Amino acid sequence: MITRLSALSFSRRTLLLAASIAVSGALFTSTVVPLPVQAADGSREGGEITFLIDSLGDTWIPNNSAISSFQGHIWGHVADKLIYVDADGKVSPWIAEKWEQNDTATEFTLHLKSGVTFSDGEPLDAKAVVANLNIWYAGRKNEGINPIGLFPKTYDRAEAIDASTVKVFFKKPTLGFIPTLGYHGSILISPKTIAQPANVQADLGKTSGSGPYVVESWKEGDHVTLVKRKDYNWGPAAVGQTGPAHLDSITYKIVSEPSLRVASVQSGQADVAYNASPQELKSLKEEGFTVATPRYLGFVNGWAVNTKLPPYDDVKVRQALQAGINRQEIIDTVYTPDWKLATSFIQSNVPGATDHSDLLAYNPEKAEKLLDEAGWVKGADGIRVKDGKPLELALHSNPYLATSKSVDELIAQQLGKIGWKVTIRAYDVVTFGEKVKFGGPAIPAYEVTRSFIDAGTVASILTNANNGENWFALDERDTTLNALRDKIAGAGTVEERKPLLDNLQKYVLDQGYFIPRTQIVQRIYVQSPNLKGEVYNGVAYASYYTAYLAK
Amino acid sequence: MSLVSENIPGLSPLEKLRSLNITPTVALSFLVIAIVIAWSLAPQLFSGHSPVNGVPADKLSAPSLEHWFGTDHLGRDLYTRVVYGAASSVSSALVAVVIGVVIGGLIGLLSGFFGGWVDVVFARFVDVLLAIPKFLLAVIVVTALGFETINAAIATGISTIAFFARVARSEVIKTRRATFVEASFLLGGSRGFILLRHVLPNASRSMLPLAVLQFGESILVIAGLAFLGYGDPPPSSDWGLLISIGKDYLKWPWLVYAPALVTIVTVLSVNRISRWLRKSH
Amino acid sequence: MSNAYLTYAGKRLGQAVIVILLAYIFTFVVVSILPGDPITSVLRNPQNGFSEQEIAEIIAAQGLDQPVLVQLWHSLSAFLTGDLGMSMRSNRPVATLIAEVLSSTLILASSGLAVALFLAFTVAYGTQVVPKKYGQGLLRAFPSLFLSTPNFVIGLFLIHLFGFQLRLFRVIEPDGFWATFFAAITIGIPFSAQIAEVLIANLDHEAEQDYAAVARSRGIAPRRLFATHLLKPAALPVVTVIALTVGELLGNSLITETVFGRTGIGSLVQRSVSTQDLPVLQAIVSLGAVIFVLVNLIADLLYPLLDPRVKIVVGRKRRHAAADDAALGLEAGAKP
Repeated sequence: MITRLSALSFSRRTLLLAASIAVSGALFTSTVVPLPVQAADGSREGGEITFLIDSLGDTWIPNNSAISSFQGHIWGHVADKLIYVDADGKVSPWIAEKWEQNDTATEFTLHLKSGVTFSDGEPLDAKAVVANLNIWYAGRKNEGINPIGLFPKTYDRAEAIDASTVKVFFKKPTLGFIPTLGYHGSILISPKTIAQPANVQADLGKTSGSGPYVVESWKEGDHVTLVKRKDYNWGPAAVGQTGPAHLDSITYKIVSEPSLRVASVQSGQADVAYNASPQELKSLKEEGFTVATPRYLGFVNGWAVNTKLPPYDDVKVRQALQAGINRQEIIDTVYTPDWKLATSFIQSNVPGATDHSDLLAYNPEKAEKLLDEAGWVKGADGIRVKDGKPLELALHSNPYLATSKSVDELIAQQLGKIGWKVTIRAYDVVTFGEKVKFGGPAIPAYEVTRSFIDAGTVASILTNANNGENWFALDERDTTLNALRDKIAGAGTVEERKPLLDNLQKYVLDQGYFIPRTQIVQRIYVQSPNLKGEVYNGVAYASYYTAYLAK
Repeated sequence: MSLVSENIPGLSPLEKLRSLNITPTVALSFLVIAIVIAWSLAPQLFSGHSPVNGVPADKLSAPSLEHWFGTDHLGRDLYTRVVYGAASSVSSALVAVVIGVVIGGLIGLLSGFFGGWVDVVFARFVDVLLAIPKFLLAVIVVTALGFETINAAIATGISTIAFFARVARSEVIKTRRATFVEASFLLGGSRGFILLRHVLPNASRSMLPLAVLQFGESILVIAGLAFLGYGDPPPSSDWGLLISIGKDYLKWPWLVYAPALVTIVTVLSVNRISRWLRKSH
Repeated sequence: MSNAYLTYAGKRLGQAVIVILLAYIFTFVVVSILPGDPITSVLRNPQNGFSEQEIAEIIAAQGLDQPVLVQLWHSLSAFLTGDLGMSMRSNRPVATLIAEVLSSTLILASSGLAVALFLAFTVAYGTQVVPKKYGQGLLRAFPSLFLSTPNFVIGLFLIHLFGFQLRLFRVIEPDGFWATFFAAITIGIPFSAQIAEVLIANLDHEAEQDYAAVARSRGIAPRRLFATHLLKPAALPVVTVIALTVGELLGNSLITETVFGRTGIGSLVQRSVSTQDLPVLQAIVSLGAVIFVLVNLIADLLYPLLDPRVKIVVGRKRRHAAADDAALGLEAGAKP
């Protein structure tokens, strides 16, 4: 967290955070956000766009689908959030106009905008927010309504103080609460919808949010059509617009083949193609199409190494792996210059990320030397052997990232040159979830694609403390890492936390615990040139709330 | 097709060959199949490139003298990938046919030969398999087994069991009723003897062209499964997989059409041979 | 026809019901072998950040940890009362899901069948009418070519030529006339080959018969011979081929719908397979079995009416022997 605004909200632990400061901060510091100047003749109004997407996910139960990489697009237009988080991780007000917290970060008070309504006519008041907080935290497990996974587990309860004030209580200090409200899981849904059973919630047409668009029609596996809500008047100030949207309707249409999505946009049959193949981007740009490769706030794409599994229990082998990957070649071959080299194991746009490129430089000689020192001798076939065992690495391509297989193949070639025997396994989403886990017995490296909002939560995910995920299977073995984790959790201010986070990044990379590949772009947009003004938020979703068709 | 248990004796090899009635297209088909088999046995003789390691800087170049089928998105020679992929495509289709013929043939043989409740039980089983659309069955089975080419082959094989069982059964019944088999019964031949000596050879003779035909179809079905993503992970290069990868790069059409052409020519040749087998036997 | 026919029809109906039930159980068994289930796979999405313990709690809360046999009993007894259950993936009733997409697939399948029949009869007609020196051989090669081309390649080719180059249809509106037309061609071509092979073989067989020779010696034109004498006897086995392959249209809709981006049974299968949505898969497999059984029942009951040479008692065997040959395009007529 580097901005003035969040510094206020998290470090000073004072009781007050004035919305006016936040709004003005957002307005004056934002350079990426286009501020649409309302044309006098209203020429920006109207128009319909078609957005081609790979899939529209599974169920539409809001809790279960809000984090879906596909359905998140629809929820982003149909529902609002309490907080807005922009592409740089900056937090600003939305439905919550301002908020306060106590000294220990266990009690938060949210002050809501008034006059906000859901599309079914229900008011978005304190009671509605309490209902949402409760279902985010607990879900209704017996009905198949899941909790929101990343919602703080330390949640205790929420109370509606009056119609526009909510007080939220936590069992333990929870600094990450406010940013979590801007995460894609935290969408505000009408209490009437929330009260419905799972099979009614699964019908998207019956769900009401408070967003700038409402669902006009939808068909499973085919499309969702949204139409503008004319009385919408509570957009996030940070995007420079609070009134109704410009575009009359947005249709999300499933076309599963990436090349067909792109070709449809090229031939003018649609306006946006999601997840194009990176190879095609260069020529698309040359043809004048808008190509957006926003990065989400989160981890870079890379491997969490299983330190329990030989030979990766040997730091030299891990360091050889770190030095044996030519990351520039990945970008040159599989991607385009729109992709950024990893500089750490978290994306460089995350507040608190620091540059450790020196640790990630391609150095095959160093890698070979390290392997020699570790006792791995090159055999006649070029594969290194120790104690009769070949130097093996089994990769499990991440099914959530389309380019994962190609990157794996390229890395297999690179590592092959220094004596690694790399095998690639590709599973579908179901099998991957079942068989490939952090620190799994046959999983030397888990390929990470994960977004988060607040870097402060990173350290505890890496270790096994507090329900952490123990990414490197270190358990409690690494006292240095654990000490850093505890200090980060206990840090009172962003200034205090920053050098600790820097140390953490340096340590994890130097130990070869995390092997970054590239910074991740999980959402690629190819857009027709006359569609302008869209905004990308902190989780890299495109919002067409501010967009318009140039005539 | 006549019911004989032995070849006609007294023909010289040359006469035999002539009696086979090999037309130019049949000869060409055999040549194609010979090349494909050679590819699968010794791919390194046909290409100096590596199927796995490419030159990233040469990615997506068009077909040329250096790269007959062009290069793919990682700069690998596509012709080489096709040659090296032959082994997997051919062997998986073979596995599918063997499963179909052996299991299906066995079921047909037993139910046709023994009749009675054996026939009834097998008939219901076959009815079930027959009633489920073949491709749907293959997709469900391959999901159960896991997404690998060999599993796609097994799934394809299972989906053809019903068909071969049917054919085998009707052939067996036909043979059983033939005069010479009745005669063998009367002469006191044991059931097993008759099954092995008369019924099996006759049934298998009529199943051979079908098996060859099924081989071609299996290549297509397995390619179809690979197209839907139920094939091997990279860097393997089954033909179906190559087409499937190629479809993501339609700006570079050779990535789809080169492996597609090889597949079509191979299957066409197989079908021609099957037809020839049917006519000349 | 009355009593024997009714007994026969009743017996066939009983068999049909058994086959459908067995197909339902078969699917359950196959899919139950699968590791994982749709619920867990959704929960394991890395963006969720659930721990293993939380996942186990959610699973238990929904009673998904029951023994397999208990689950089968529940689903089978529901199926018998006409309840197809709830989709595990989308939390919506399976019947609704299927109803939403069925019409699209039926349109695709029936227009595919129409395309297949048209192509098959055109090619077959050509083989009888076009003289040998003017490319009859080429026409005869068509079925084989059709049978050797992966239909996803045909589909990709058609989309690119007509969708993007000639702009005849919009790829994002796969239910439009031209898009449906080309999808029908894609799914119809392999079937046209099967039908054409049977048809050509039978036409050749009929053309060799004495009555055809007599007709020709009287100087009848090939076109007239085809229309008045050869067509009817040769076309009868086609009924059998259609009956046996119409279920395959359902299976093959998977690829065609994927390529053309149509929403139908095929794409529903694909989504359900990738998330192991057992209730949906069971329902679709049963649907396939129902269609297959029904169509064959109709063909069985029609066949004696169409071909007076076939008596009911032997009807079934005779038809199925022909069917076995016909399904793979054997030259049925040429066999002894």
